[in-house]
Amino acid sequence: MEMFYQDISKNFQITWEVLLKDISHSKEFNPYCYHSDFYEVFKQLILSILLNEEIILLDSDLSQQELKKLTNYSEFSQFNKSINTKNLSGLSSTTDLLNKLKQVNQNWSLTLFTSGTTGLPKKVKHSFLSITRFIKVSPNKASNIWGFAYSPTHMAGVQVFFQALLNQNLIVRLFGLPKEMVFQSIEKFRITNISATPTFYRLLLPAKKSYSNVTHITSGGEKFDEKTINQLKMIFINAKITNIYASTETGTLFAANGDIFSIKPELIHFVRFEHNELLIHKSMMGVSEINSEEWYHTGDVVEVISENPLQFHFVSRSKEMINVGGYKVNPIEVEDTIRNIEGIHDVRVFSKKNSVLGNIICCEIIRTNEQLDESTIRIYLQSRLQEFKIPRLVRFVNNIPTTRSGKTKRN
Amino acid sequence: MDNIKIIINTVLKNRGKNEVENIHEISHLRNDIGFDSLDLAELTVRIEAEYDVDIFEDGPVYTIGEILQKIQ
Repeated sequence: MEMFYQDISKNFQITWEVLLKDISHSKEFNPYCYHSDFYEVFKQLILSILLNEEIILLDSDLSQQELKKLTNYSEFSQFNKSINTKNLSGLSSTTDLLNKLKQVNQNWSLTLFTSGTTGLPKKVKHSFLSITRFIKVSPNKASNIWGFAYSPTHMAGVQVFFQALLNQNLIVRLFGLPKEMVFQSIEKFRITNISATPTFYRLLLPAKKSYSNVTHITSGGEKFDEKTINQLKMIFINAKITNIYASTETGTLFAANGDIFSIKPELIHFVRFEHNELLIHKSMMGVSEINSEEWYHTGDVVEVISENPLQFHFVSRSKEMINVGGYKVNPIEVEDTIRNIEGIHDVRVFSKKNSVLGNIICCEIIRTNEQLDESTIRIYLQSRLQEFKIPRLVRFVNNIPTTRSGKTKRN
Repeated sequence: MDNIKIIINTVLKNRGKNEVENIHEISHLRNDIGFDSLDLAELTVRIEAEYDVDIFEDGPVYTIGEILQKIQ
């Protein structure tokens, strides 16, 4: 019986046959996908394509208040639609399912949210093409087994899902599992491919032994340091290690060996540099509410190493955003939330380098009410912000440093 | 050891988790104390502020004993 999905932590496994049955027997579809269960998210993604319905992916740890801010709703049952079973007929084999998925309607879209630089999260809409631009389907990938190490509601997770699905590969959950279970899964299911953030890999180190079955290691979302790469080479002795440049807005764009990125000749007209900032043409991007300009400013500063072929490396990433273990945190959003607490005069949110997560969130607060303490603030934030956005260090101060132009200092 | 326990309990309390009564050298940060990566990140900063040592600098530490060795 061919397996579709394995989750060792829940002792949960699904065959392709069960997946087919679950899909064909689905009675309802809701465009708002807000589930903590990975399999549920995968099913909704497949259903949305088969039914040609838009799907909106929401992180399962978003608070009611965050949901309301993003979507205007905190509850979505009113959007349940009955499924016309005719649309799901003719799915008698995995081949039928994959063929139907490959004939995806051009109007189909997937919406995700990314922390915007203006303080409000930004809605980004992707077509099937912009998600799967770098996905390769070929017979020599048929035996791949994927370690799933991203959240399924994030762009990177969606891309890994389609890469595995369209090649009919087994997906093994690794995201959110303790280190021992990650290695146990890699060994037990003979995982060949893993794509994850550098933080995910850092937390696996050091390992007690090596795993020869893994042939491809991919990383993106943050800077991949040389030290981690070298340590990974000792564990995954047969793996080719690739670094990719991707974001919620652009999907995957370029790949690098080490930290030098090169651009394929066919993409060269979609990239340009302005004052060393990387600009990407809008035809390469998902559609967001604010990007109406011809060229999208990534905020990423690069240094061009050679013009022909075009090669560059990243000097610094999006100035204001703080990367906490691969999750982007917008300090302005956190400041705005803290400012709403009664008894707070002003606040500064900034990052501090951290050997575990790359960066952690810190804040300094000027309070008008001396009774207001750290735990009251934390309790308030826990019901309003995702956990990784909550400052890990809180300090009460009398004044807040600003830059010469009067902006809050972030470093 | 007592000081490390205070720091660990601060981190636990900050996350709304139950504080620990006793810790031992063999106590495992994830399995016994219940730390996740966010907690470990906070722990490194708090220990660094007090002892001027980044306990994760050369790779992850797993037990209280390993922390004690690093800050000696």
